[in-house]
Formats: sequence, C-alpha cells, structure tokens
Amino acid sequence: MSFLRSEFFYNYRRSTSAVIGSALMLTFGIAVLIGPFLVAQNPYDIAALDLMDSYKPPVWLDGGEAQFPLGTDGQGRDVWASILYGARISVFIGLVAMIASCTIGTILGLIAGFYGGIIDSVIMRIADIQLSFPSILIALFLMSAVGTGIDKVLIALTAVGWVVYARTVRGSTLSEIKKEYVQAAKVAGLPNTAIIRKHVLPNVLTPLIVIATIQVGTFVLIEASLSFLGVGVPITQPSLGLLIKNGFDVLFSGLWWTSVFPGLAIMMLVFGINLFGDFLRDELNPRLK
Amino acid sequence: MTDPTPMLEVRDLEMHFPIGGGVLDRLKLDSKGLRIDRPVVHAVNGVSFRINRGQIMALVGESGCGKSTVAKTIARIYQPTAGEIRIEGEDIASYGFADMLPVRSKMQMIFQDPYASLNPRQRVRDIVAEPLLQQMKTAADRKEVPARTQALLAKVGLNAEHAGRYPHQFSGGQRQRIGIARALSVMPGLIIADEPVSALDVSIQAQILNLMMDLRDEFGLSYLFISHDLSVVHHIADTVGVMYLGFMVETAPRDTLFARPRHPYTRALLSAAPSIKARRDTEEITLMGEVPSALSLPSGCCFRTRCPFAWDRCAQERPVLKDVGDNQSVACHLIDEPERDRS
Amino acid sequence: MTTTDNTLLAVHDLRTYFHTFSGTVKAVNGVSFAIGKGEVMGLVGESGGGKSVVGFSILGLIDSPGRIMGGKILLDGEDLAQAGEDRLRQIRGREISMVFQDPMTSLNPLHTVGQQMDEVLRLHTDLDAAARRTACIEMLESVGISRAADRLGAYPHQFSGGMRQRVVIAIAMLARPRLIIADEPTTALDVTIQSQILKLMRRQIADKGASMILITHDLAVVSEMADHITVLYCGKVVERGRTRDLIETPSHPYTRGLIDSIPDPANRHARLKQIPGTVPDIRNLPQGCNFRDRCPRAQALCAEQEPELRPQNGAQWAACHYPLQPGDSA
Repeated sequence: MSFLRSEFFYNYRRSTSAVIGSALMLTFGIAVLIGPFLVAQNPYDIAALDLMDSYKPPVWLDGGEAQFPLGTDGQGRDVWASILYGARISVFIGLVAMIASCTIGTILGLIAGFYGGIIDSVIMRIADIQLSFPSILIALFLMSAVGTGIDKVLIALTAVGWVVYARTVRGSTLSEIKKEYVQAAKVAGLPNTAIIRKHVLPNVLTPLIVIATIQVGTFVLIEASLSFLGVGVPITQPSLGLLIKNGFDVLFSGLWWTSVFPGLAIMMLVFGINLFGDFLRDELNPRLK
Repeated sequence: MTDPTPMLEVRDLEMHFPIGGGVLDRLKLDSKGLRIDRPVVHAVNGVSFRINRGQIMALVGESGCGKSTVAKTIARIYQPTAGEIRIEGEDIASYGFADMLPVRSKMQMIFQDPYASLNPRQRVRDIVAEPLLQQMKTAADRKEVPARTQALLAKVGLNAEHAGRYPHQFSGGQRQRIGIARALSVMPGLIIADEPVSALDVSIQAQILNLMMDLRDEFGLSYLFISHDLSVVHHIADTVGVMYLGFMVETAPRDTLFARPRHPYTRALLSAAPSIKARRDTEEITLMGEVPSALSLPSGCCFRTRCPFAWDRCAQERPVLKDVGDNQSVACHLIDEPERDRS
Repeated sequence: MTTTDNTLLAVHDLRTYFHTFSGTVKAVNGVSFAIGKGEVMGLVGESGGGKSVVGFSILGLIDSPGRIMGGKILLDGEDLAQAGEDRLRQIRGREISMVFQDPMTSLNPLHTVGQQMDEVLRLHTDLDAAARRTACIEMLESVGISRAADRLGAYPHQFSGGMRQRVVIAIAMLARPRLIIADEPTTALDVTIQSQILKLMRRQIADKGASMILITHDLAVVSEMADHITVLYCGKVVERGRTRDLIETPSHPYTRGLIDSIPDPANRHARLKQIPGTVPDIRNLPQGCNFRDRCPRAQALCAEQEPELRPQNGAQWAACHYPLQPGDSA
C-alpha cells in the first residue's frame, strides 16, 4: 500500500509522541465501539445493581473483588464499566460537536472570506464577541437558557466551537482567492458558488484537520466541566465528567477511586488526542517543513 | 486590415481600486473632523488600443504600471471603473455574470504563475475541461468533452496519460502547457496572456513561445501579450504599447518602436535592457529614482518625476497620445517642442 | 585546474548533497572553478542546476538535510570546507559577503538600516562608534542613497525595492570583503532599476578591488557583468570560459541551447531554437551525460560514459564528448 511507504507514514513511525497519541486514541476508539460488550454489568440497568456492592475498593486493595476491578460507587456500579459507558458518551459528544462546529464554521468562513464587505464584517464581529468570553461561560449561559441534555450540550459546544474554523477558513480563503487558479475559474465562467465549492473549499481544508483533532479533546473537557457543574448531561446518561462529579462528594472520605479513575480516563483521552494533534500540526503545516 | 471590426478594442479604460479594510479601519480624524477616508489606487487611467484578428499586441512596462490590471480587467476578473471593452464590437464593460458567459468562449486567459494558476486539488483533465463545461448546455455536448480534452492535451504537447494526474507532478513548463490547453478549450478568438513565460527557465520559455506562435498560426488567434521582457516582446508582438503608471505613453508597430522609440520612458526602457550582444556604447537614457505611488499620481505628465527632459509644462499639463505617423502614437510634450530633447 | 598567485578562491570537486526522504539530491556534484582577484565570475544555469547551493556551500551555510560531502573550497589557500563554524563566522561578512535576490530576506525588518550596518562594522572592525557612523554614511552615499545620514534611522520597509537592494549592497561592501557572492541580485527588480544596480555593483567591485561570483539564470545579465562564465547543469559544470568566447562560440550543446533560446531581434521570423524536454529528476539522473536526452548531438557514447571537463579551444573548457566547433550549427 502506497500509504505505508509515504513520507507521512515514515515520519509518523519515527515520532514517539505520535505513536503513543494514536495508540491512546485507538484504545479509546475500541473502548467506545465494543466496550459495553466487554463488561458483564450495565451500570445503568437498575436491576443489575446491588446496593450491597457499594463502595467496593479496587481489586488490589483490601476488600476488593475481581468482579469490580476498579471498585464500585455508592450505588454498587462497577467503575470500570461506568468508564467504558461514560467514555462512549464523552467521545460521542466531542465528535458530533466538532463535526457541527466544523461544518458551520467552514461555511461561514468561506462566505466571509469570499464575499467580504458587510457580510464579512458581521460574521467576523460576532466571532470576535464570541472569542472575548471564556467558552465555558458561553456554554453556561446557553445551558441555563435552553436547559440540560445531550442535545443542549451539543448546541452549546457548537456555539462555542465554530469560531475557530470560521477565522481559519476566512484567512485561508482570502489568500486562496488571490491565486490565479481562482481568477482562471472566473475567466472560465464558473459561478461564485461553484468556485467556492470546487476551488476554494478543497484548498482550505488541510489546516482544519489539526484544529478538528485537538478540538475533540477540548470539547471532551468542556463537556466534563459542564457536567461537573451540573448543567451538562442528565444523570441517566453519565459522561466521564458526571462520573467525576458523582464521586467527588465522597472523594475526601477515602473513597477516591470513584472520581480518580474517570479523571485519569479523561486525561489519557485528551492527552492522546493532543499528542497526535501536535504531530499532525507539524506534518501538515508547510511553514514548519 | 480587411476586417473592419477588431477582435478587441479598448477605449479610455479606467480601473481604480479602493484600498482595504472595513469602515472602521478607514475612519480618520483630522483637522477637517471625523470622516471616512477612501484612498484609491489609480491602476489604469484611460487606456485605449485595438487588436485586429490574428494580431499580437504586447503591453510592456515595469511592475506597477497597470499592464496586468488591463489584462485582468478585459478578462472581466475586475469590473472596470470606466471605459469600453469591445470584443468583436460588443461592449462588455458593464456585463453581468450571465451576459459574460457567452463572451467567455471568445476570450480566454493564460496566467503568469504556473504554480498558482492550476488548482492543486484538480486533475489535469478537469482543469482543462473547466471553461468548456461552462459552455456545454446539453448532456450530449458534455459527452464530447473527454475526447476534446485529450485532443487539447495532444495539441499542447502532453500525453493522454497526463490527463489523470495532478499539477504537482509536472514541471513549470508543462504546467504552462496545461494552462494554455485550458485557455484553448473553448476555441476563443482572443487569448489574454499575462506574463506567460516570465516564471519559466529560458530554455522552457522558448518552447512556450514557439507553442503560442504555432497556435496563433493554426487557429488565427489574437493575443494580448503582457510582458516586462523586451526581447520576448520583440520576438512575438506585431504592435507594442508601453505603459507607465497606468497610462499608455507610446504605441507603435513593433519595428517602429524598437527602431525609433520616441517617448523618453520607452527610450530608457530599451537602453536599460541587458543583452548578450557585445557591450554597446550607445549613449543611453539612465533613469533616476523609482516609480511614484499610484495612490497619488503626479500632476501633469506621470513620468515627469523621472524624466531627464521634464520642464514646467510637464507639471501643468498631462500629455495625450498624439499620432506621429506610421501608426506610432506618443504621449509626450517633446513631440510639440522637439528642441528640448537634448540627448 | 591551475591555481596561480592571482587566484582568490579555488573550488575543487565540491559535492553538496541533500539527504531527503525521497532520495539523495546531489545538488552540487563535483564542481570546480577558480576566481582571480578583481574578477567577476558568472555562475549560470536553470533552476535545479545547483548554482545557489554552490554559493551557500562556499559560505558554509548548508543546513540539514544538506551536507558538504567532499571537495575543497580554498580561499587564499585556506580550506573553508574544513573550517569550523567560528572561523566561518569570521569569514562571512568580513572576507566574503552575500547579496540575495530578495532584499527583504537579508534585511531584518525590526532594525534600522543604521543598526544593521553598524553591526557589521562592530563585528569585523576596530572602529569606534563615531568612525563607524561616518563609514556607514559614506557607504550609503557611495551606493547612491541621498540624505544618507537621515536614512540611517529608517527601517527597511521605508525603502523601495531598488533602494533596499542598494542598502543590501552597501552592507555587503561595508567590511571591504574580498569576495562578494551575489545570488540573482536583480531578478526581483524592474529593468530600469536592474540596470542601475548592475552599474552600481560593477563600480563598487572595481573601486574596492573585490571579486564577485554572480549567480543568475539570465545570460544577458552575466554577459554584461562577468569576465568568466561557468555553466552548471544538474549539479555539474558543463562549460566554462571567458565571457565573450563562451557566448560567441559555445562548445557545449547546452550552453548553445541556452543562448539560442533567447529571442534574437535580428532573426525574429524564425521559430526560437528550443532545448527539447525538461531537466531530468536530479534524484534519478541517467547514466552517462546528464544532458543526452535533450541533446541534438547525443550518440551512443553519451549514454555509456560521463564526459569529463576538457579544454576545448584555448581557455574554454567543456564536458562533452562531441563539443561544438566554432562555425558548427547546433
């Protein structure tokens, strides 16, 4: 396969951080896809829970049981199973919000950059205002206005996330439309929409790959923060952030495992994404070559 | 000149660009109070010329003289500020997108930069077919496109297997051939070539110039050929227009212009061009200084700030192109007062 | 190659390779030439010929993945290819200076022209501040910049393109170097500005008794400037000789092709003579002569054996099995 002989793959193999990062991402990918089939207990099936199992420590501590490798929480839920289910929700939210942000941001950036003038001013001033607030604050505002739920989290994250794409795409668009191939398309008689779609869009996408990768990690963190603050996902669909919150109340009474393991899971997920994202940034940025 | 309607006729073409930024950036506070500043680049300031069928007209001048802007305005990449652009007699200066579409099959363009003028993400066959597809209205017509694309590539010296490749797999000269095939695809009568060989190595330059001349002979094309290279212009052009700061300062048939340049700028340009011939000892006009800004044109003659002959009249009165015989026209007050020419 | 007392710089069998992912690029592959004191040598070739890499190699400015793999660069007998970075830093600017195509890349946009000129003098001379300032003003005036004392405080962006190139030349000449390497110094300039700059460089070189390597693709420019010309193709010298000899009676078909490609006003109705094909991929050069696929004179021998640089007529050398004789048609 020609990909295995490409320069990209060659550099990837020589980059330890990229290999570690992608291994972490791959692990989470597998966990998200087949994780629920790996564990016996569905932590959100009330019938499967037994209050007698509550606050069991991890297996290597006194009182730990092989059935619950990372211990259990107050309802007798297996922490390991909760993490596998929770990662699913966290990754789902991160990916969907990223795709929505990327689509909306790219379209707005293309319009702003290509047409310029008033449209450009309006879009970019909204983006500026957006950027002048901390993203968690905007999300908090929106959540308090529209309520909680996974769909609301997605809306809040998208409202925060489109700006970075719009700005990047607008900048690339401005430099692409000065190039002669865009002028050639005008001389060929292509309407503006076709010029944007066939000529500008394919040439502004590369830098977005890096942004999109890293943004999934950022979104996982923001979602965790929102859930931790109690305005994120509902209690029936707990993400990793909500797991931390649930364990937080008992964190200082020695029952640390209910919070710490989900926290480590988030950390490894985001760390993996960022390592790989940095590698992509170095590889795809022609100026660093 | 048996054909009464020229392929291209340009009259008093003007192209001014407002410069950058939104309203907030242009807001200015000075002694006259708060106002919105509207600085304008005077890129082209009333240029007129005509190109007959099968003729090659070259526009020469230094960077910033507006020659490329003239080309791109005629190709209607820009909307002209004023003036007429007649393609086979039809004034297209104020045409909108839909009106322009049929005109695009009469006029195409070749660009300067063989790297930037081809979309890196498009295959060669799609690049070449692009203008053609805009003219094809029926599915039956479109069926012919692949065959025509192959024929076009062969015509410019590329192979059929090149059609599926991407631009980065080609050298500069080959890329320029792809650009020529694209321009040729709709069989236009007029090709506007904006510095088509200046980014190429000299041996490749010769290949492309020969190709362009062959195509002219085969299809009876007219060219508007933009160049800063006088040896190239001397080789290819029938008529030459010399531009300076957005004005046409001299036009003449090639041999006349190179043998008897009249405008001081033309003379300076000719004497500054390096040559591989043995060193000449002809007296030459050496220009001091550099081209003034097109944001604020000098009063009177645009060239007076660098002209060795300039006198007070040149600052007061802008010279207009005057016919001096043999189809040569010169915009210079020296034509009226030849005794001031001290060279 | 003969080295005489008058030789300032002698390059022997220089090899500079770039080890890239897609293979080794032998950008300079066995280049030899010599420049006498006060001489101007033109280094001519098309893109990919390796001419700029020769200039950078002389100054020791080859960065990874590039490396000088062999050869000698003798400046007055001292081998720069073996010199350490400290020694090279002394030589750059002091003994050898460089003028690049784009003046914006060689001037620091954040420092005034005066600061940048002063720095050169501080590094390479013992002058005190007042003497340095006087020297800077004199140098700016000598490159035709008026009100030089005022302009010392100006930043590079406040000068036009031609003026900037004058400043670059002034900086290059400041420490009175013995050799100037000018890499396409006028390619970015308009023709009337180009002629000003070329005249200026010619005068500066003559006044100061310096030597110059003029790297360019433009045969017309070198023919007006240089005493000798060395023609590169695919990292090798294909021909060298005195300027007029080489232009009027080229021995190598490539040189002949380059000259014939320039439109000749006297012969305008003819088609331009062109060199067919394109430069071969330098990572994957053919066996034998690199030019044979494009050469009208190529025969079986050219595919088997690489031609050596041999004397042709008098002082002219060419690397060709079947060199052109004066009077031959291409």
